[in-house]
Amino acid sequence: MENIGLENIALFSGLILSLVGLWGLLTQKNIIKMIVGFALLDTGIHLIMIAVGYVKNSTAPIIGEGVTKANAADVIADPIPQALVLTAIVIGLGITALMLAYAVKMHQKKKSLDINHYKDLKW
Amino acid sequence: MVGPIYIIAIALGLAFLLGFFKKLNANIAQTFMMAGVGAMSFISVQWLFGHLAGMVTETVTYTAGFKPPFSISLQMGAMEAGVTSMINIFGFLGGVYLWRKLKEMGLNAIIIYMVTLMGLNVIVLTRDLFNLFVFLEVSTIGIVGLILLERGVNTISSGFKYLVAGGVISSFMLIGTIMIYKYAGSLYINDIITSNIAATKGGMVALFLLLIAVILELKPFPANGWALDVYESANSGISAFLSAGFATAMLFVLYKLMPMFPIEWQAMVAVVGGITFIGANLLGIRQKNAQRLLGYSSAGQMGLLTAVIGLSSYLNEQFIFILVTILLGHYLAKAGLFWLAGIVKEKEINSWSLLRREPLLVVLFGVFILTLLGMPPFPSFFGKWELIMKLAAGGQTTWILAILIGSFLEAVYLFKWFGYVLKGENEGLPVLQIKPEKIISPVVFATVSVMAGYYAGSLLGETNFAFYIPLMFIAAIGLLEFLPAFVKNTFAIAGMGYLAYTTLPGLFETDLLRFIFMGIFILGGILTLFAGYYYKGKRQGFYPSALIMFAGLAGIIQAETLLQFFFSWELMTIGSYFLIIRGKRSMTHGFSYMLFSLAGAYAILAAFGMVDAQVGNMLSALGGVTSHATLIFALLAIGFMTKTATLGLHIWLPGAHAEAESDVSPMVSAILLKAGVFGLLLTFFGMGAESAGNSSILYVLGWLGAITALVGNLAASFQEDAKRLLAYSSIGQLGYILFAYAMATQLGWIGGFLYVINHFAFKAILFLTIGAVVLRVKTHNMYEMGGLIKRMPLAFIAALIGIIALSGVPPLSGFAGKWFFYNAVILKGWYFQGAVVFFAGVIAFLYSYRILQTVFLGQLKDEHRHVKEIPLTFLIPIYILVIGIMIFSMYTHWVLEPITQYLTAYFPSDPVHWDGAAATTSLGYWNGTWVMYIIGIMFVLILGWLLWLNAKATKVKQFNMVFSGERPFTPETTHMAHNMYAGYNKALGFITAPGITTFWNKVAEFVTDAAGFIRRIYTGNGQTYAFHIVAYIVIIYFMIF
Repeated sequence: MENIGLENIALFSGLILSLVGLWGLLTQKNIIKMIVGFALLDTGIHLIMIAVGYVKNSTAPIIGEGVTKANAADVIADPIPQALVLTAIVIGLGITALMLAYAVKMHQKKKSLDINHYKDLKW
Repeated sequence: MVGPIYIIAIALGLAFLLGFFKKLNANIAQTFMMAGVGAMSFISVQWLFGHLAGMVTETVTYTAGFKPPFSISLQMGAMEAGVTSMINIFGFLGGVYLWRKLKEMGLNAIIIYMVTLMGLNVIVLTRDLFNLFVFLEVSTIGIVGLILLERGVNTISSGFKYLVAGGVISSFMLIGTIMIYKYAGSLYINDIITSNIAATKGGMVALFLLLIAVILELKPFPANGWALDVYESANSGISAFLSAGFATAMLFVLYKLMPMFPIEWQAMVAVVGGITFIGANLLGIRQKNAQRLLGYSSAGQMGLLTAVIGLSSYLNEQFIFILVTILLGHYLAKAGLFWLAGIVKEKEINSWSLLRREPLLVVLFGVFILTLLGMPPFPSFFGKWELIMKLAAGGQTTWILAILIGSFLEAVYLFKWFGYVLKGENEGLPVLQIKPEKIISPVVFATVSVMAGYYAGSLLGETNFAFYIPLMFIAAIGLLEFLPAFVKNTFAIAGMGYLAYTTLPGLFETDLLRFIFMGIFILGGILTLFAGYYYKGKRQGFYPSALIMFAGLAGIIQAETLLQFFFSWELMTIGSYFLIIRGKRSMTHGFSYMLFSLAGAYAILAAFGMVDAQVGNMLSALGGVTSHATLIFALLAIGFMTKTATLGLHIWLPGAHAEAESDVSPMVSAILLKAGVFGLLLTFFGMGAESAGNSSILYVLGWLGAITALVGNLAASFQEDAKRLLAYSSIGQLGYILFAYAMATQLGWIGGFLYVINHFAFKAILFLTIGAVVLRVKTHNMYEMGGLIKRMPLAFIAALIGIIALSGVPPLSGFAGKWFFYNAVILKGWYFQGAVVFFAGVIAFLYSYRILQTVFLGQLKDEHRHVKEIPLTFLIPIYILVIGIMIFSMYTHWVLEPITQYLTAYFPSDPVHWDGAAATTSLGYWNGTWVMYIIGIMFVLILGWLLWLNAKATKVKQFNMVFSGERPFTPETTHMAHNMYAGYNKALGFITAPGITTFWNKVAEFVTDAAGFIRRIYTGNGQTYAFHIVAYIVIIYFMIF
């Protein structure tokens, strides 16, 4: 466990998760399941982002116990990916919500959640 | 200067504030929104003017008190100022357009509209990669929210497809962004550019993911089905937002990020764009839904612009000019067309004939279509011109070909649409209801397009003001459309007269070639315009169209640079298209005329590119071309032959000329065809006929001319329609002219000039006469005429003189033409071709006889017993031409002697000697004046004798006769007119079999079938579209790694 490293676990599981999500998005016919797929894809990417920012044996980027302005750059993990992930989560939430809103509207119109029933526009 | 940060502050502040007042009156909320968007526009426009005036330099605004990479920075350079101005002005006008809809949907829609617009501004301004991602998502969410302005099931499902596709794309973008951060250690774009992360494999992959996500946002073919569905089903104001606003911002993102990527990837970007340009436009051909069609066109235009960005290394200092003008053309035209779609409310393009009920809408539609296609005088014309010139300078022949093919495919569906608007059936369609707020924005954009065109032209350093004077005159005439036709006709003739007065004397001194053609164009124009006094009412649209054509014709004569020539050439094509399509059944003919003309124009453009690359942009420098001379010569010849309707490229002519209005037929036949001849002559004079490559092409052209003459004359003989007969006769006559010039000897060219002048005069006489007869008897079919000599003697005399001049019988100038012609053939030694031409000449007698016999001779039909002589307004120009042709025949040397001298510069060995009216060659001599005297005396003697005989004749009633033991009772049975040359048709008709028409139809069928087949990839399934995106990424990945 020690030599694999936490960041690699996060990276690897993020990759798996996003691939599973993408797979779900592309193959599930049920619109709700497609949205779940998208949420998984999004979460997977967030994990990857965290993994990228992780620095081994360093502490949280908060000035306080053992972290001073002078040594901060050496002991803390890079705070930027964490900030980015927060933003990305918010955006992902927005898009997922919008997708669900659309799913509701579509169901109201056709009483169906099968993506194959919405092919009137083509060519 | 108000800082760019206020753009964001205003939009966000207003959006939050409005959110607090849920109960606010929608009118007030919307007024606030418009004020906010207006302020945003003001900020970006003041920066734009500041940059244009050189008052400000590139300015970077830092946020949060830190410098990047520790904070987000906004850059306001000239490009950013321009693009945000475009976005915000669009936002303002689009807000006006959507006024009612937004009000109906309430506060939330108003807020979303503003936030979306703000998102696009930040996308353009920001220099931080993650910030870019965030606001791209904000804009996407906003747009998808706005799609819900319409609540149809198709709109909703298309919005969902858009979200799914957008979600997949943004996932890749997010991974790319975070990986770039890992390798570059910064999200500041300037840092990433300098950090060279492409050196590592991981960095490459990171950059690739980012680039491909940006490209996918530009809707590349074929991974763009998701966007097409939205374009088709969203509210037209939102589709306009996507196409003009969103796409503009995304294109700028690509432009902004390009320096981050390895230089070798530029080729990939260009190819991706090129494939999209051709693919999207190809599939557009089969499209019938207007908004979806615009979607295809939008994808195509973005493809072209992507290609331009990829090709930037060839475009050097003109890169920005090309990018901006083409982008501007797309932006103005696409917004305008989507807006019009919202006014028309008809989905199918063939219902757009509705527009004709409101002429202003037709004008707007025309401006937008021509802007989109890059026609003069609109900005994208200059952009495309520079693009081709620079690509030619870089030796990128394949790229020139690809861009011209894509443009041509685009023209196919846009002109089909245009045809429906101008000529389609509009009975039974609903009434147009134009709300005032919906018409303002298109009018503004059309005006901007015209002004931007002028500005773009001046940026190229052309002295194009002189070229805009006629256009302003035409615009003035266009504003006077409410006046009756005769007033406008007088203005038009006065304008043409002024043009003649200012140009002809000068040209006579300096350049005989140009003088002759200018004379034909302007004087012919005045004479044919005179016939227009016949028409009552307003004759809407006629005068602007005719004058655009004549301005183009005058322009090609006066042009000094290649650009001026091409500008005028396209102008002439547009004007003549509008004229031709005015005929009752002209829709398809106008369409095929336009397609052949455009293909020809693109051949000319390609040739000009190669010329420009070698010797610069002066028309007179054509002779200095050294490499690819034969190719250039051939391209120019093919281009100009689409206008002279040489065999193979002629199928548009019979319908276009025959179905045109009575005074339009002589304009397009007697006058317009000579533009092609002038172009050929410019090529021949400019590039010389001496070099080995050219002479073999000329040999081919000679044969082509001879066969064209034969087939044209033969087909003319088999026509039942009088105007079609004359139209085919034009093909034949232009065949002679091509043959004469292809000989490239002094005698041949003298003959050629003689034919040009002669054909102009007699074809104008014949088309005016027959056109006027058709106006009187209301039919084109010759077998429904007959005996009209009794009712229209003056028309008969004019037609007789025209036919004599045509058939080359002494004493008129046609004979002189033949004399020079056969002299030239014998001296050149082209005996076989000469024989074909001679045979064609014999066949010309068949149709010459047919038109006189069946229209004027024989028995008068019952329904024509009281038909009147043709109108005076036609007789006056006809008889001016008759007198002209008499004088020209008698004193041919007045014209031919200067021509001979003029040609001596090109052919120093002088085989013709002039002695007064007598011309002598090594084969014999000819004297026009004496021929006239002798024939005149013989004519008077025989006429006197006939009159004397006639006095003794017994007068009989019409049916007091018996033949074949039968007594006829109706005029038809005594008048062999229908299927007149059945025997000849049986023997020789196979030559005129419409094989060439069939060939072109097969080509068209193949292209449309291909389009129909390929477009099935757009299955309508949202998952398929998402899969396209993933597959697209994978394929491109493996192609570049």
